[in-house]
Amino acid sequence: MNVRQITRLGLLTAAALILFIVELRFPSIIPVPGIKLGLANIVTVYAVFRFTPGETAMMVFARVLLGAMFSGNFSALIYSASGAFLCLLGMLALRGILPQKQIWLCSVIGAMLHNIGQVLAAAAVMRSWAVAAYLPILLVAGSVAGLVTGLAAQLILSRTGSNKL
Amino acid sequence: MKKHKLILIITGAVFVVSVILSVWILRKSDRTMIEIVQNGTVLQTIDLNSAKDQDIRIESPDGSSYNIVSIRGGRVSVSEAGCPDQTCVKMGTLQSDHLPIVCLPNKLIVRFAEGGAS
Repeated sequence: MNVRQITRLGLLTAAALILFIVELRFPSIIPVPGIKLGLANIVTVYAVFRFTPGETAMMVFARVLLGAMFSGNFSALIYSASGAFLCLLGMLALRGILPQKQIWLCSVIGAMLHNIGQVLAAAAVMRSWAVAAYLPILLVAGSVAGLVTGLAAQLILSRTGSNKL
Repeated sequence: MKKHKLILIITGAVFVVSVILSVWILRKSDRTMIEIVQNGTVLQTIDLNSAKDQDIRIESPDGSSYNIVSIRGGRVSVSEAGCPDQTCVKMGTLQSDHLPIVCLPNKLIVRFAEGGAS
């Protein structure tokens, strides 16, 4: 990896972290664990379509880890990490299939996979499938949030053309 | 049919099913027996009809945190939690059969017990 790549990824990670921390200050409208807007997802979607899978994975890994550190909520790390992992896997698989105009759909599916990952991790930690009841509610909220962040990412991707950053 | 159209339709279907399931899950319960579960084991079973107003303090498995489960006028909620996110407190009173009050950091679940219909 050369200096140029490291700088780009560092900038993206920083941008994602800033969005993540700004979002922590928002009061939660729906008091269900796991529901949030996920603004940092804008950066992930951008990276999926502009960087190699390896680079994107590194960026997401750094963001999730640093996000847990900065928010001080380490117990949430296992949920965000498993969610982010599934989300990333799904979006990387979709990036070759979906046309430019449907990047938002990639984000929606990514958000849904994130929710599924969260619930699976929660079920494993709690040793109970009771938490699975949250899944439909998380999926509805997640798809709406994924649509918003996906459209934002799509707008950024189409405005920046093929330039990397 | 093109692949991305198929993906769009599947995603739409999952969304619609989720909306229907959410409505079903959020229905109010007619049960009165609740149970407090930690780490997969039932700690206490309480009948809300006969229970007095009380606060039950529950320590987390590693003893570093706690939750206070409150019963007030036949309704149960988590009134205090030793974790930073306070999600279980913000969830308010327990209302639905399918949606328990969950405190993920302390591995605590408060839910309606099976077969406890009034």
